[in-house]
Amino acid sequence: MIDNSRYLCFNLAKEEFGIPLLAIKEVIGYPEFTPIPQAPTHFLGIMNLRGQVISVMDLRVKLGIKPSRTEETSVIILDLGDYNLGVVVDQVNAVHLLSAEEMGEKPVVENSKNHDYITGVFRKEKHLILLLDIAKALSVQDRSTLSQTQKNAA
Amino acid sequence: MEDFERELKVGFLDEAAQALADTEQCFLALESDPTNAENLNKIFRLAHNLKGSSKAVGFDEMGAFTHQFESFILKIKNGEMVASAPVVNVLLNGNDHLIKMVETLKTDIDAKFDSTAILAEMARIIENPAAENRTNSESQTATEDEIEKIISELQSESTQEDATDFFSTPEPVFEAVPLIAPLSIIQEEVPAQLLEVQAEVEKMVALEPSPAPIPATRPQPIQPSSSGAPAAKAPAAEESIRVSLSKLENLLNFVGEMVILQSVMKEQVLSSESLLLKKTIDQLGKVGKEIQDISMSLRMIPVKQTFQKMQRIVRDTAQATGKDVAITLVGEETELDKTVLEKINDPLVHLIRNSVDHGIEEQSIRVARGKNAKGQITLSASHKSGKLIIEVKDDGGGLDAEKLKKIAIAKGVIKPGVALTEKEAFNLIFAPGFSTKEKVTDVSGRGVGMDVVKTNVLDLQGEISIDSTLGTGTTIRIALPLTLAIVDAMILTYGPEKYVIPLNHVHETVRPTEKQIQNTSGLGDILLLRGENIPIFRLGDFFNRKSAQKNTDMIALVVRSGASPCALLVDDILGQFQVVIKQLGPELQGFKGVSGSTILGDGKPALIIEPQDLIKRKLYISTPTPSATPAATPAPAGGQAA
Repeated sequence: MIDNSRYLCFNLAKEEFGIPLLAIKEVIGYPEFTPIPQAPTHFLGIMNLRGQVISVMDLRVKLGIKPSRTEETSVIILDLGDYNLGVVVDQVNAVHLLSAEEMGEKPVVENSKNHDYITGVFRKEKHLILLLDIAKALSVQDRSTLSQTQKNAA
Repeated sequence: MEDFERELKVGFLDEAAQALADTEQCFLALESDPTNAENLNKIFRLAHNLKGSSKAVGFDEMGAFTHQFESFILKIKNGEMVASAPVVNVLLNGNDHLIKMVETLKTDIDAKFDSTAILAEMARIIENPAAENRTNSESQTATEDEIEKIISELQSESTQEDATDFFSTPEPVFEAVPLIAPLSIIQEEVPAQLLEVQAEVEKMVALEPSPAPIPATRPQPIQPSSSGAPAAKAPAAEESIRVSLSKLENLLNFVGEMVILQSVMKEQVLSSESLLLKKTIDQLGKVGKEIQDISMSLRMIPVKQTFQKMQRIVRDTAQATGKDVAITLVGEETELDKTVLEKINDPLVHLIRNSVDHGIEEQSIRVARGKNAKGQITLSASHKSGKLIIEVKDDGGGLDAEKLKKIAIAKGVIKPGVALTEKEAFNLIFAPGFSTKEKVTDVSGRGVGMDVVKTNVLDLQGEISIDSTLGTGTTIRIALPLTLAIVDAMILTYGPEKYVIPLNHVHETVRPTEKQIQNTSGLGDILLLRGENIPIFRLGDFFNRKSAQKNTDMIALVVRSGASPCALLVDDILGQFQVVIKQLGPELQGFKGVSGSTILGDGKPALIIEPQDLIKRKLYISTPTPSATPAATPAPAGGQAA
């Protein structure tokens, strides 16, 4: 349980986010991947991670942040129990050990769109780090997204 | 429960399942040769080991039952009872009961069982005066001393036999020895409560108060486990270890990746001057290929165990239908991928049951036809041009093509007046809802089964065919790929992308001429091929992709694996390769028309196309608005990566 308070923090454009370190398998550079036809825009395709075929999603597109491509662009490979998933982020910063006191409730925003995937905020010096439930932000919805796209197409 | 204890139990269950498969074989052999001392000794050893170990690891109920079971077997061994058919029935039932226990315990380690019915049956047989020649039966259950004595006799016997044993193996005949191992471990490391439990059991089953006898064990090499019982016919028993399937799969993944890296390296080295480097990489490639072959073969196990189970099926089915049928197994050592083997089990059971029930005639008919009254079924396995062929052959009545047609018409499977060749008529038995048996028995005849068999075989990328001669018998032949992990495939391009299509779907490839493609307003493009009219689709239409090429510059793949043929247009075919299939993640499971992915020689993944699903999807998409493009959002171009 101790490690649950360790978060990997990364940037999407200028915003900083954090996800639990335990959910991460590794971080790799921007890979080559094969696009999947008729997939949603944030679904970049499939990649080869040492013999394993892994789907890659662009978290920026998913969260409505403009994607860009720099030297720092990386892919975080998530370990979601029975499968892995790659997530493209702009910049991986550091691992922070967050104590419970430092973690704040997320501010209540009325009338905003669904932001269930934000589990809390952490104030680091002058800026905020948003803590994400990455599975919620990506896979849970995406599992159905693809089949929905196909249904819509029909 | 402590981990140690759980581990012991799980280990025991694995061993027990194997031992029970062994005992079943022995019981079946007992029926045909009731006085074979060798066989009886083996049965007794297995039963005794099972008893000792089950008690030791704390499966009280199983221990209690096996104790009774052992006593029952002892009576046969001592000649107090003859292994007649009813006795063997009880033995087999007891064995089934134990198998069920083991299976249940595997999922629920604290499961409880009710053994009273089977115990009563055993008691009834023992009490039955007809079970002749009871010389020395003052007690119902054998005393521990008695058993202990026999066991030690057997052990000394088996030690002596070592030198001259006709198995000519360096191993002692002492089979299923691993069963004993947990017992000796316990002696050394005894968790106190285990001993208590054991003492409890002893009290409950009213044994002598001494702890369960622990046969002296010598250090034993671990017996082959994946291949089931140690092969008695093998010239020398090889040592082996048990490895988890996930570890194997990991190994295969990495080996696959290594081979890919090698091919990248091989391309790079072309621009190098160094001869030594070239040579080394060449050699590395050979070693790599060798490693790949070996690691692939690790998943292969002999069909023996699956085949042997069929003996029991034949026996039971024959008994239920009042027939006398023998089964011959051929090519038991033939190896097949574990997953394929597991999936072929149920279809085989169906086929064997069908052969006994429908194929083999009633005894009186057989005699009238001048055949041996005993029906004969041959189950064989062999390798043929990269496929595994399994044949189920019976010497029964054979299939009557005319009769099949009549029934098919009566059941509405085909329309009257359709001309069918004999072979096509035979294939009618695979149609859903088709059954030739007049009366429905509990064995077969409900008309499900054969169509399920066919579906299962097709799911495994296999083929099934029938050969039959009226009056002399039927042969059903199943051809299976040796492994599901690798498939022969064609790599093709459409636009900038590469796709993979399994070769078994592609019947032929043609470059259509302008005259061969006819555009019709209702049906879209049609390929006119040697008098056939085949609907033709551009591969990219399914994926919302464009290709600059004209239809006539493209290559048409004719697909005949489905109900009706169709043709797919692709830009180019890069060649035929063996590809390793990689499953897609759950986030892509809903993606129709694609069965998986593979990693190509350049290290990039490609999708494996499932043409049947793809066509269905096309029809589905295009039916409401034939001219509209699919509403899906196009995926971003993946070529950003340098």
